[in-house]
Amino acid sequence: MNVNNELLKRPVTVSLTSGKGGVGKTSLTVNLAVALSRSGKRVLIVDGDLGLANVDVLLRIHVERSLRDVIENGDDPLDTIVSVGPNLSVLPASSGVPEMLNLGQREQSLLEGLLRKISSHYDFVLVDTAAGIGQSVLWLNHFADHPIVVVTPDPTSMTDAYALIKVMAREHERNSFHVVVNALSSPKEGEEVFATLKGVAEKFLQVKLLHLGSVPLDSEVAKAVRRQIPFLKTSPDSRAARAILELSASIEKLSPGSHRGAAQPAPALQPKPLAVSERD
Amino acid sequence: MKPQPILESSCPLEFNECPILQEVLALRDECSRLTELSITDPLTGYFNYRYMIQSLDQEMERSRRTGLPTGLIMVDLDHFKDVNDSYGHMIGDKALQWACRIWRENIRRIDIPCRYGGEEFAIILPGTDLPQATLLAERLRKVLADSPLPVDGFGLELTASFGVSAFRGQNGATPQRVLDCADHMLIRAKAQGRNRVCSDLQPKRKSPTEVTSDERAALFNTKGNEDFISPCLDGVEDDCQ
Repeated sequence: MNVNNELLKRPVTVSLTSGKGGVGKTSLTVNLAVALSRSGKRVLIVDGDLGLANVDVLLRIHVERSLRDVIENGDDPLDTIVSVGPNLSVLPASSGVPEMLNLGQREQSLLEGLLRKISSHYDFVLVDTAAGIGQSVLWLNHFADHPIVVVTPDPTSMTDAYALIKVMAREHERNSFHVVVNALSSPKEGEEVFATLKGVAEKFLQVKLLHLGSVPLDSEVAKAVRRQIPFLKTSPDSRAARAILELSASIEKLSPGSHRGAAQPAPALQPKPLAVSERD
Repeated sequence: MKPQPILESSCPLEFNECPILQEVLALRDECSRLTELSITDPLTGYFNYRYMIQSLDQEMERSRRTGLPTGLIMVDLDHFKDVNDSYGHMIGDKALQWACRIWRENIRRIDIPCRYGGEEFAIILPGTDLPQATLLAERLRKVLADSPLPVDGFGLELTASFGVSAFRGQNGATPQRVLDCADHMLIRAKAQGRNRVCSDLQPKRKSPTEVTSDERAALFNTKGNEDFISPCLDGVEDDCQ
């Protein structure tokens, strides 16, 4: 096998992450995956919320085996993957398993090996991370070629997104992030939120933020979530759906591993206390 | 002391010259004069030690109730013994009065300037946190250093050293503890060469990834909180040398 072929086969891996929960990561991930798969790309969603999985819920799929079985029992990851449509598959995680949130070194290298192995079958791998800045979140963002930070105009979301960016910049030498502003009441608001975050990240962290896109607040989104069907399917003409198509087009332009040497593996992380969550 | 209505008017029996009313009025004046005397230092006009302790206790209680901090500045004139020895006690007293007058002109009306004893003073600053109290102390230091006392046609240069602390509702802090803390800083200022301000102010040690108040302020376009601790009052003993 020659190295160039191996590189050519490498998919684009993006993580969707936010620090704060409830900003729409999973819904964005699922709908983006649907959009990408419709344009003919082979897409894998990895449910990176290893402790409280949600992707299966939003896609209304029945999960028999999850990432947990792969990591703990050595199950074949290819048997764990659930196909949910043409070109679209899900690697589900487990729900209600607290210990899955903090990956040990052994689990990290196992996960890395299996993600690399299975992702070669796809063009795009979308990793939906958990909320917070736990070890698994940081590791998955480190693993991804492009971390996409999802933020809403809510001040708590902006603070948490910034905190996540700061930890990734300081501890994992990430110096650029894509940003998606979600749940906007106006396009202008999206520009403002992004400009603020960009300015602060540049000034204090010397980190570059790229505005990948914005998604308006749309009542169709909540309705679709409750019906457990992607809003791209239930309301293809909604403003949110149109925004997803634009975002998906931007993601298609991303290249694999542009931020670091493609062959360089993500190093195992040593668990260490993170003071950023202990706000005073 | 609130005057009773009877003292406001003339004699209830409408005598032109009522000896009892005269007596009562004289007693009232005497009483308020004595009250004034009992809380004032006669030389400088500042409040005395007793009033200082009482006020500090009261302001700290106010801090506990309102959440507003109470600042405290301790001041000691530098080389004051030399002034007394070289120029005599009259000039020494003039120097004290001179410094006190200058400082009084540079504090707010709500601030409480007190003579702690000898050439040492304490200024209680209601509603003032450590950074602001430190700024004020620096201003008081500079204004005295820039204003020599006129003595027989020449200027006698006076300087003072300042120690600053502030009470922000720390558990277990007493007026004595807040005074000790400022005194501690004053001793440090003396040891570092005098004519300077030392404050119980230290930047908070942060985790390198913690979001700072400056970053928060930039995100929300607000004023940053001060990220500081007071090692003395916050009980970080090893930092309070």
